[in-house]
Amino acid sequence: MEQKDDIYYIEKVLAGQTNYYSYIVERYQDVVFSIALKVLRNREDAQEMAQETFIKAYKSLSSFKGSAKFSTWLYRITYNNCISELRKRKVHFASTDDIEIKDEAEELNLDGIPEENRARVIKDAMDRLPEDEYTLILLYYFEDQSVEEISKVAQLSESNTKVKLFRARKKLYTILNEMMKDELYTIL
Amino acid sequence: MSELEDIKLKALLQQMKLEKPGPNFSAMVMNSIFEESNALEQIKAQRILGKGFWIILMLFVLLTLVVYAMSNAGVQTDGKLEQLVPGMENGIQSFINSMGTVPLSVAGILIASSVLLFIDRVISANTKLFTR
Repeated sequence: MEQKDDIYYIEKVLAGQTNYYSYIVERYQDVVFSIALKVLRNREDAQEMAQETFIKAYKSLSSFKGSAKFSTWLYRITYNNCISELRKRKVHFASTDDIEIKDEAEELNLDGIPEENRARVIKDAMDRLPEDEYTLILLYYFEDQSVEEISKVAQLSESNTKVKLFRARKKLYTILNEMMKDELYTIL
Repeated sequence: MSELEDIKLKALLQQMKLEKPGPNFSAMVMNSIFEESNALEQIKAQRILGKGFWIILMLFVLLTLVVYAMSNAGVQTDGKLEQLVPGMENGIQSFINSMGTVPLSVAGILIASSVLLFIDRVISANTKLFTR
């Protein structure tokens, strides 16, 4: 079936054709679930939260004005749900500084990662990032959201988002560097 | 970080496979939405003011009318009863006077219960709407 944009499906749902919401769910379920899983670290809880997020979004769909992208609006609901859940569990949604950013992090040659291992390596590196930085990187690089859109999702100023994104990227490079070194030692 | 590196990182990240929820995730979400929609429709269709409320209200109106009639018209015995049984009319009069307060009390209870019933229905209807 031809891929339509989000607004097309939203208009259908708002006109009473609820079935069309399943296209939206299918389009965004992986990102929403991945963020929830990163935060909750448990598949069942993450699935429940992702489900809650989509239901909440459905209920508030009439309040979506279309001034921002639908995905930005949905990720904001996801992000807020995650924060609420962590507050309930009395855990902070904050970056842990256990990964020391190294200066040589930027010198990593991404082409050096063997192609057959790239998907696994990048996934493992992302898994080692703290949840807030994981979300920023995921939205910026994977979901192609702009800094302005991410700042709306994370409810940060644009300059703060830029700084956080910069740090997250450096951390990711540090992790990738370490992983590459480990892989080299294994080979040698 | 150079722009080229940023593009490379983006390309690399887009190769990443995201975690997927269970195979029936979309169906589960849609089922929950349909269930909620149906429940919402049922709540909307349900009358807030049920039969009980109207019966109590009718009884209250009836009793108010009785109290009104009794206080205005009273009981006309025309002194015939007094002639037959001396002291009977006074007795009946005092009985009616004391009985006159009973409908008023019952009416008070009825109006209070109808108001409580109404509040309960409104709150429970709204709670169902908000908790869903």
